[in-house]
Amino acid sequence: MSATFTKSMARNVFYGGGVFFFLLFLALTFDTMKVLPKRDNSQNITPAVAHGKKLWETNNCIGCHTLLGEGAYFAPELGNVYVRRGPDFIKAWIKGQPTGVPGLRQMPQFNLSDMDIDDLIAFLKYASEIKTNKWPPNIEG
Amino acid sequence: MKYTSQAVAKPYFIAAIALFLGQILFGLIMGLQYVVGDFLFPAIPFNVARMVHTNLLIVWLLFGFMGASYFLVPEESETELYCPKLAIITFWVFLAAGAMTVLGYLLVPYASLAKWTGNDLLNTMGREFLEQPLPTKVGIVLVALSWLFNIVMTVLKGRKTAISLVLSLGMLGLAVFFLFSFYNPVNLVKDKFYWWWVVHLWVEGVWELILGAMLAFVLIKVTGVDREVIEKWLYVIITMTLVTGIIGTGHHYYWIGTPAYWQWWGSIFSALEPIPFFMMTVFAFNMVNKRRREHPNKAAVLWALGTSVMAFLGAGLWGFLHTLAPVNYYAHGTQLTAAHGHLAFYGAYALVVLTMISYAMPILRGRAANPEKAQIMEMWSFWLMTISIFFITLFLTGAGIVQIWLQRISPTPMSFMAVQDQISIFYWAREGAGLVFLIGLLVYICSFFVKGDSRAIE
Amino acid sequence: MDAQSTHISLVEMSNYQLATGKKNLPGDFALWIFIFAEMLVFGVLFVAYAFTRAYHIELFNESQLTLSRTSGAINTLVLITSSYFVVRGVTAIKQGVSKQCAYWLTGAFLLGGIFISIKLVEFHAKYAADISMSTNAFYMFYLSLTFFHFMHVLMGMIILAFIIVKVRRGGYSAQDYVGVETGASFWHMVDFLWIILFPLVYIIR
Repeated sequence: MSATFTKSMARNVFYGGGVFFFLLFLALTFDTMKVLPKRDNSQNITPAVAHGKKLWETNNCIGCHTLLGEGAYFAPELGNVYVRRGPDFIKAWIKGQPTGVPGLRQMPQFNLSDMDIDDLIAFLKYASEIKTNKWPPNIEG
Repeated sequence: MKYTSQAVAKPYFIAAIALFLGQILFGLIMGLQYVVGDFLFPAIPFNVARMVHTNLLIVWLLFGFMGASYFLVPEESETELYCPKLAIITFWVFLAAGAMTVLGYLLVPYASLAKWTGNDLLNTMGREFLEQPLPTKVGIVLVALSWLFNIVMTVLKGRKTAISLVLSLGMLGLAVFFLFSFYNPVNLVKDKFYWWWVVHLWVEGVWELILGAMLAFVLIKVTGVDREVIEKWLYVIITMTLVTGIIGTGHHYYWIGTPAYWQWWGSIFSALEPIPFFMMTVFAFNMVNKRRREHPNKAAVLWALGTSVMAFLGAGLWGFLHTLAPVNYYAHGTQLTAAHGHLAFYGAYALVVLTMISYAMPILRGRAANPEKAQIMEMWSFWLMTISIFFITLFLTGAGIVQIWLQRISPTPMSFMAVQDQISIFYWAREGAGLVFLIGLLVYICSFFVKGDSRAIE
Repeated sequence: MDAQSTHISLVEMSNYQLATGKKNLPGDFALWIFIFAEMLVFGVLFVAYAFTRAYHIELFNESQLTLSRTSGAINTLVLITSSYFVVRGVTAIKQGVSKQCAYWLTGAFLLGGIFISIKLVEFHAKYAADISMSTNAFYMFYLSLTFFHFMHVLMGMIILAFIIVKVRRGGYSAQDYVGVETGASFWHMVDFLWIILFPLVYIIR
């Protein structure tokens, strides 16, 4: 058994393995995209939600908060904030920033109109209804 | 320097180090904001500092990758770079784009920046790590293509080695997967799903090809071990990387609205992700032990070994710590994630770029290795930075564990902000370790200015 | 019985190497890293299956009845036969008979095609019944395991095809047959995994 594993064999395994697992990944992606409509709450995407998502992005909310656990870890999770706090609290909160309490973390004032805030809340409501396999573990996020 | 065109690497390396310094300074600002919440508010709110911190990291690593490839590909291909002028133009374009973007972040409210840079034409901004305005994103694509073109043309006209092949493939993947940053559907789940095609498939996929190629190059140079052996192991390791890492993307698909089966696929494959890193550690130490020559650049050997160990700890071990779905259910989106992120980026990518710089910079300055005194300083900076980032990781891990306990496991869960108060001691300690890191980095920068007897180039 | 013989031939193989004082495993250590990694992935999946089943025995038993044991059994025979063909192919090339080697390997390749076809019919039946990985835990495992294995068979066929082409061009000889042996190792592994997978998922209740 004078078998040796040569560099060219290693190269072939690399190409074969890479392509194999990428194809497998594509197959799983395909299945995911098929199943997604049952889970992603996309039936509730309204123009308000779309506008809310844009506001979420253009004010860089993800720079401090997490959304479904992804983002920065400086400020509370907002994927379930609609459930945790409710729309009225969220609106008052956004309007009342910054608190200006010395030494505490400050949220900027983004000067959003009432309608903008409503759209942002619509987006957060939509996000809170996505089926996330029961994450987060409790209401605190 | 064997080929004069390798000299284009030098400005890239200098820019990389300068931006690295910027990254650390903003990291310290954020670290302080964690405990003194209104520090620099409203001049530099936390989200702005974070954007600068993470974007500078990406940009300086890209500068490092580019410089490294302009240095190593001519040597591998045994020919001059296809077009050095293009590399220099690309450098200035990238630097200008990077500087303007950071200034934009710092001087203009983000919403206005978005409006002025055409975000209304195509929404791409405001997603973690992909905050860049549209023109910058297009610029990144152009810069990556110019880089890829230059390197591939060089490889095509010269010797084709496994190292330059793997490097080119990594660069190609980097350019291709970045294109997903232009896809931002309103459907949040799809947005997040494909967002990871940039972020995960970069750092746990194609970037590792670049890392492997760079490390293999330096190991060949400093150990003198047969190229056949090193290149074979390069293939074996990066195969394992792709085998585990591609499906390993699934560890991000547990709780974002994607189907539950990802918990199995993601857990199993990402649990294997430490294997290629472990192999890399064993491989690097083996090669150094079997070395056939004593390279005068001892510092470069230290950086190379450091890369293999810290990449295993940061990406491998700390990744494994919270990758299994039942653990991740509690750990997802806590300081534990931050701990892993810091050690993994430092261990795998910051260190491999510094390894390359450590090996190449003396040669670019006309000597095989730096003077003894400079090398000792460099080694000091290695230990200062490495130990302090390790402590940053430990403190953040501690913070994460307490956070998980108080906020998610305890029968009477506390609110996020109340928990943050409880763990401020960890944040203070982290800031202290961060200061030591800064000192290490300053020592590193000083080491370039130490004069002394340096051996002539071989 | 055939699983046993595979096992015996493996033992013989390693005994042979011990006797000749060479390495314990045919081929290079690096190759075995991949084979071990593959075994590890499947092993973890098998264990995960067993544990999940323990929690949902009724669901698993009930869903298992919808699988076609006949198809599974035929496929088992098909794969075992193909492995035998591959063994004959390797023997042939060791004796330097390229032509025979190519015939045996082509036979194995065609059997692989039969396996794929039968499996596709099975997948289609599940697809038509609107059953997917998200239906329940059993189907999650059934589809994941068999699809992952299915891709391995396809991969094995591609490898065999490359080897057949090279054999036909006289690329291997009695002195140089490492490539054939490596491809054979992969094929045996794919076969071996099915031999565990079939009873585990289709039969054991």
